[in-house]
Amino acid sequence: MTTAVEGSPHRADGGRSELLGLAALLGAGLLLAAVGARWISGPLVPLALALVLAAVVAVIWTAVAGSPESKRRIAPYGLLKPGMLWLALFYLAPLITLLRSSLSTRPSRFAVDFTFDWNLGNYTTAFTDFAPQFGRAFLYAGSATVLTILIGFPLAYVIAFRGGRFKTLLLGLVVIPFFTSYLIRTIAWRSLLADTGQVVQLFDTLRISGILETVGVMDNGRVLNTPAAVIGGLTYNFLPFMILPIYVSLEKVDPRLVDAAQDLYSTAFQSFRKVVVPLALPGVFAGTLLTFIPAAGDFVNALYLGSPNTTMIGNSIQDQFLVQSNVPLASAMSFVLMLIITVFVFVYSRFFGTEDLT
Amino acid sequence: MSAPRNNPGRGRGRPIGRGPLTRRQLLARAGALGATGLSLPALLAACGGDDGNGTAATTAPPGTDPATTDAPANGGGDELFFENWTAYIDPTEDGEVGTVDRFVEATGIQMRYSEAINSNNEYFARIQPVLGRGERIDPDIIAPTGWMAGRLINLGWCDPLPLDQVPNAANLVEGLRNPTWDPTGEYSLPWQAGFAGIAYNIDITGRELTSIDDLFDPEFAGQIGINTEMRDTIGLIAMSLGIDIENLESFDDAAPAFERLEAAKDAGQIRRFHGNDYFDDLTNGNFAACIGWSGDVAQLAMDNPAVRFAFPESGGTSWADTMIMPAGAVNRDAAAKWMDFVYDPEQAAQITAWVGYVSPVQGVREALMDIDPELAENPLVFPDDETVAMTQSFASLSDDVEEEYDAAFSRIIGA
Repeated sequence: MTTAVEGSPHRADGGRSELLGLAALLGAGLLLAAVGARWISGPLVPLALALVLAAVVAVIWTAVAGSPESKRRIAPYGLLKPGMLWLALFYLAPLITLLRSSLSTRPSRFAVDFTFDWNLGNYTTAFTDFAPQFGRAFLYAGSATVLTILIGFPLAYVIAFRGGRFKTLLLGLVVIPFFTSYLIRTIAWRSLLADTGQVVQLFDTLRISGILETVGVMDNGRVLNTPAAVIGGLTYNFLPFMILPIYVSLEKVDPRLVDAAQDLYSTAFQSFRKVVVPLALPGVFAGTLLTFIPAAGDFVNALYLGSPNTTMIGNSIQDQFLVQSNVPLASAMSFVLMLIITVFVFVYSRFFGTEDLT
Repeated sequence: MSAPRNNPGRGRGRPIGRGPLTRRQLLARAGALGATGLSLPALLAACGGDDGNGTAATTAPPGTDPATTDAPANGGGDELFFENWTAYIDPTEDGEVGTVDRFVEATGIQMRYSEAINSNNEYFARIQPVLGRGERIDPDIIAPTGWMAGRLINLGWCDPLPLDQVPNAANLVEGLRNPTWDPTGEYSLPWQAGFAGIAYNIDITGRELTSIDDLFDPEFAGQIGINTEMRDTIGLIAMSLGIDIENLESFDDAAPAFERLEAAKDAGQIRRFHGNDYFDDLTNGNFAACIGWSGDVAQLAMDNPAVRFAFPESGGTSWADTMIMPAGAVNRDAAAKWMDFVYDPEQAAQITAWVGYVSPVQGVREALMDIDPELAENPLVFPDDETVAMTQSFASLSDDVEEEYDAAFSRIIGA
C-alpha cells in the first residue's frame, strides 16, 4: 500500500492519519484492557473511557471528514477497531487478571481478596499436585483426537467423493447432534452406558465383553466411569469438528488430479496416499486444533462419564475455582494449561506447516 | 441435606406417597419386606416425589434461581426469600397445599422459595465472594448444615435472628438448643435433622449390607458411591475403625479413615464421588451401595423396593440443617413470621410428613398422629434411645484442624 502512494501529494497528510490510526487503535485497546484489569480505578475510569471514546470518534471523524487519502489510510485501523476493543476488554483484560491472581496468595482460608506478591508457589503446586490430571487430560484428548481422525477421515472422504446428491443431507446428519445441548448429549450417554444399559447388554449378547475387557474398553463388566467412556465421550462430542474441516479440504480436491495420477500408472492406493491425503492435511490440521484444544480443557465428559481415577485437568480447575475457592491456584493451573497447549500448537504447526492452510 | 428428587434423568411419572392413604400403602409394603432393626430402609415415609417447586438449580447464582415459588403480591408489600436444599419442603401440587402457600395465605407476605443448595461447600463458594466483601446476598434465610452455619457465624457473615418475634422458637426440642455451632442460639434455628448411613441396591449386592467394610468389599469394585460431605463420609468410616468422631482433636485422630478412603479410591473401588445426585446410580444399579441420607433413601425405596437404607453396625452419623439469616438480610420481620410459622407443630408436622426427616419442633409427633400415625412411630423420624445410641455427630473442629481435614478430603475426592 505504501509503495502505491509513493510521491503522492497527500503523503504527509496520509502518514499522519496512519500514525493517528495506529495510535488510536493501540491506545484505546490498552486503556480498555487496563480498565478491565482494574489497573485504572476510581475517578480515572471515566477519564480513560472518555479517551477510548475520543479515539473512536477521531477515527470516525477522519473516515467521514478527512481527505480521500487519509480516509484510505485510516480505513484498516477503523475496521480493526471493534475487534481490537472487544479483544482488549474480553480477552486481554481477563488474561491479565488471571495472570495476576495466579501470582497471588490467599491471606487466609476464607479471604475473598488475594494479595499479589509474585507467589510462584501456585505454579509449583499446579505441577506437583496435578501432574496426573495434566497427563490424563493430554492422554485422553490425544486419544480422542486420533480416534476422530480415524473415524472422521473416511466419513468425510465418502461424503466428499461419493456423496453425490446426498452430500448436503449427509453433512446435515453430521451437524444434527449440535441441535441438542452438549451437556444433554453427554448425560444421555450415562444411561446408554449404564451397567444395566443397552450398550453393556449388546456387548454381552454379542459375547464380546471378554475381548473388550482384555483391550481395556470394559472394566469388571462396566463401561461407564472408565477411561474408555471418557475418551469415547470426547471422541463423540468433538467428531463433527474433525469431519467438517476435513470435508472442506477434500471437497476442494479436483478429481481430475486423481485421474491424472492414475493415468500416470499410480494404483488407487498410491493416488490416495500421494494426492488426496496431502491435499486433505490442512483439514486434518485444522480439525486437530479444533478437537484437541477444547478436549484437553474439557471437564464435562470426565465429570459425567468418568470416575475419581479419570479426572482431567479441567475438572481440577473447576473444583479449585468453584468448590475450593482457591482462585490463585486455579488461575495458575489455567495458565499452565494454556501454556502447554500454546507450545503444542506451536510445535504442531511447525511440524505440519500452516502455509498449506490457505 | 436433602437429595434432589427432581433429577432430570429420572422418569417420575407417578406421584408417590403424598396423601396419607398412599403413605399407608407404602408402609404396608415396607412391612412386608420385613424390616429388621438394621434394615430400617423402607420404613421411612419420606414422601417425596415430583418436586412441585421446579427444577434443581445447581448452576444458577443466588438470586437468579429459576426454581422459585413466586406468590402473587398480596398487600403490605412484604417480601421474603428463602434458599433451601432441594425437595426439602412439602410442595403445592396435586390438590395439596404446601407450607409456603399456607404461609403466604396466612400472612400475605410475598414469598420466594428457592432450591438452590446442593452441597454445603459449593454453596459456600458461591456466597463467599459476596458476603466476604461485606455485600449482601439476596436470600433472607439460607439453610446450611450446622457446621457450615457455625463457619458463617464465626466469620460474622450472619445476622442474629429476630427471636423476640418468634414465640414458637420455644418449641425447639431440647437436644438442639444452643448447639455447638451456635452456642448462644441467637443465630440459627434448625430446619430439619437426619442421619447418614449405607444406601444400597439389594438387586446388585445380593445381600444385606451391615457394615462399612461392605463398601470396601472387592466384590463391589467400581460400584461404590462415596458422599462428598466430609462429615458423613469420614465420620462413617472413622466410626467403623473405632474412632470416636464426637471428640476429634487433631487430624491424626481421623487419619486412618482418610487413608482407608484413599486406598479404596486408588484401588478403583469408588465409582464416583456424589453429592445429592446418587438417586439414578443407586436405582439403576450403577451403584451397588453408597453413603446416603435417611429421608431420601426411603423415598427411593418407594419407587424401587430394592433400594435400602441401613445404619452400619458401627453406627451412623447425625446432622442438622439450620435456618440462618445472612448479614444484611432486609426482610427481618417477614423472616421472623416464617420461622414462627414453621415452628408451629401443626405446620411442622406437614413438612415432616413429606420430607421424612427428624423435626426440630416439639409436638410434631402428636400432630403427626392425626396425619400419619405410622410415620409417628418411625425411629428414623422420631429417634428412640436405640437409634440415638447408634449415631454420633461429627466433632466441631477448630479452624486450623478443619482446614487440615478439608484439605485432605478434597485432595482425595477433588478432581
